[in-house]
Amino acid sequence: MRDLFRGELVRLTAEDPETRAKIEVHWQRDSEYRRFLDTEPAMVVSEKWLKDWFEKRNEEGYGPNRYVFSIRTLAEERLIGFFSLWVDLVHSEAWVGIGIGERAFWGKGYGTDAMRLCLRYAFTELNVQRVSLGLMDYNPRALRSYEKAGFRLEGRTRGDVQRAGKRHDSLWMGILREEWLAMQNGEKV
Amino acid sequence: MRDIYKGELVRLSAMDAGEAGKAFARWGRDSEFRRLLGSDVAQLHSAKAAQTWLEKELEEASVNQHWFSIRKLDDDRLLGDIDLYVYNWSARDAFVGLGIGEREFWGKGYGTDVMRVILRYAFTEVNLHRVTLTVFEYNPRAIRSYEKAGFRHEGRMRGALNKEGRRWDILVMGILREEWMEQNDNKPAN
Repeated sequence: MRDLFRGELVRLTAEDPETRAKIEVHWQRDSEYRRFLDTEPAMVVSEKWLKDWFEKRNEEGYGPNRYVFSIRTLAEERLIGFFSLWVDLVHSEAWVGIGIGERAFWGKGYGTDAMRLCLRYAFTELNVQRVSLGLMDYNPRALRSYEKAGFRLEGRTRGDVQRAGKRHDSLWMGILREEWLAMQNGEKV
Repeated sequence: MRDIYKGELVRLSAMDAGEAGKAFARWGRDSEFRRLLGSDVAQLHSAKAAQTWLEKELEEASVNQHWFSIRKLDDDRLLGDIDLYVYNWSARDAFVGLGIGEREFWGKGYGTDVMRVILRYAFTEVNLHRVTLTVFEYNPRAIRSYEKAGFRHEGRMRGALNKEGRRWDILVMGILREEWMEQNDNKPAN
């Protein structure tokens, strides 16, 4: 059977709270990254605070409705990002949030590769019927990446985000199980 | 839309640790009920112990667990409990456990009625793919009831029980979504 945790450029890993906190300290200093990630005010917190937070998440464990992975490059084992899946179990839908914190790895296919692993995991391991995500209109790089991974733009909440003195739209994307299966070109999943 | 908590004879109601604790302690004194319900060694528990246990269980209740008490429709009397536990979400399979503690209501269709209600709940509210149960060879009344509710025989764990000085089998039964839909004329909302 295929290795679910290994892509073309990256692999999925589990990291200790210490490792995760240490790298998050660097990523959070990049305010552009923070603004791509979500709509919360960009904020920096201490390594201790981050470690406690990751420890708490660790204690809560994973599944059946929450799955978190870190992303490392295959070439140098560099820790470059993470993604989380939240599953609505009854309706068989997963929401994904992904972040590539290392900006040296932006725009080079690492995020797309990780998202493809994420979709394979969601559709063939969690067996969900759809995967959804949201992003902001000021992140066209992410939009292109999600489209490449197979997501379709499904909707737009106009002017619900204010960043740098301007109103921006939230974009909503989704991919259905049938669409993902059709993309696999008859390859055994 | 139909009332998904209501059958022909009984309804599903919220578990109350105080009330159910008292009832569980009383029902547990009936050793036959205890043996029909589970394979563990029959033990006696005080109402207080049962209540404390229930409080803890209910507090931990998660998206995996759908646990109800069973009440008679005509006079609201508490008859037992039923628990639908989703043990595998990626397979969308749940275990169901049912106990009618009041023995004067055995063999009169109350258990079958509540099983039909929980199957409707499992397939149309929780959107499961299958429901599984186990039943003991020495409980033909329950086996008949589960067959009536639509379960099929799927397997048998030979000699898995030792009660009354001899070995008994544990039977595995299951029902798939398609089978349930067919039994309901593919009109789950009716």
